[in-house]
Amino acid sequence: MDVQLHVLLLDDEPIVGKRLKPALAKIGCEVEVFEDPRLALARIDEKEFDIVVTDIRMDEIDGIQVLERVAAKSPRTKVIMITGYAMMSLAREAMDKGAFDFIAKPFQPNDLRKVIAKAAEALGTPLNVESGEAA
Amino acid sequence: MSLIIISADLYESGRAVAEKAAAKLNYRLIDRELLTEAAAHNEVPEAELKRALAENPSLFGMRARPWRRALAVIQKTVLERLLADDAVCHGLGAHLYVVGVSHALKVRVLADAEKEAAVLAEQERIPADKAMKRLEQRKQLRRRWSRSAFGMDETDPGLYDLVIGLSNIDLDEAVQTICDTASYRKFQPMSWSQKCLADLELAARVRTVLLERFPDLKVSADGGTLVVEVRAMKREKRRKAEAIKEMAGRIAGVEYVEVHVVNDIFRQAAESFR
Repeated sequence: MDVQLHVLLLDDEPIVGKRLKPALAKIGCEVEVFEDPRLALARIDEKEFDIVVTDIRMDEIDGIQVLERVAAKSPRTKVIMITGYAMMSLAREAMDKGAFDFIAKPFQPNDLRKVIAKAAEALGTPLNVESGEAA
Repeated sequence: MSLIIISADLYESGRAVAEKAAAKLNYRLIDRELLTEAAAHNEVPEAELKRALAENPSLFGMRARPWRRALAVIQKTVLERLLADDAVCHGLGAHLYVVGVSHALKVRVLADAEKEAAVLAEQERIPADKAMKRLEQRKQLRRRWSRSAFGMDETDPGLYDLVIGLSNIDLDEAVQTICDTASYRKFQPMSWSQKCLADLELAARVRTVLLERFPDLKVSADGGTLVVEVRAMKREKRRKAEAIKEMAGRIAGVEYVEVHVVNDIFRQAAESFR
């Protein structure tokens, strides 16, 4: 299967990357997983990703800062925010700063796959999430 | 696209703003016409739904139980309609129960009281000062209603994203301001806010069913998981919890039901004095 989407996944909890990476690979995403936001930002500076999935609450650098950096560097990149501390003010701030979507933890891998599929559609690279194959 | 919920200190002013905003954005208008359908689907007289929106329960007026049920039916029907975006909602108390949904822009419209009083004075052929007094009474009644119905004071500006006074800003300007604000990215729907709204809708749907048998309960939902809080005496705790689980478990979208039974201290105290 051809890789269609380059995805950076940032969450300081290792289990999140471990669980989501194979789930996204199944629908044609090449996923780079980071637990340290500084390393993730360095990689974002090097490479233009199609999609960035980032946790919000992390030590030192938070997801909103990651969003701002991505928005400044690559406006076409879709940023999906994930958080266990969802609040209206935070959700609105993320959307205002250009997030593509905002999901509250816990969620099922399929929930994220659906959002990735929406982002892929917006990027003009539709995925077939139902069959687990790239369209 | 987002949802716009309009509340007003005087119904007519809110309705005028809501109608114009819906037409300008090409959104659906959800207003009291919905009550006809809500009444038919839930076997509640439409007049009872209208009355529940207008008054508090009282000894000589509407009784508490049908009042609560009527409000639950309205809430359920409105939330169901709001699940599809692109709507302007007015006159159904949605500003008090659509809580924590980031893509719902809540607007409070303050009527031009002098203008409204002049209209009322002409309609009812009463002096202007009397008309003004009546409008003031209506506002006070609304305030009390919001507290009794949903435990919130609807005149609190903190409930809204935008407060517009029609005394100094004319209708078209107010509508333009609302439409401009609704277009901000922060009011766009996202997975989380849509889930929040779906949770509210599920909780309202379950509550409407349970209210038929249990007159006083709270229901919240998170995904398919429900938490139901009900008051009961010690000896009925288990029976009530089982009955709630059984009734709620049959409703579409419910996966798990947790029942929190709170001691009904008033009934317990009343029984101990017998």
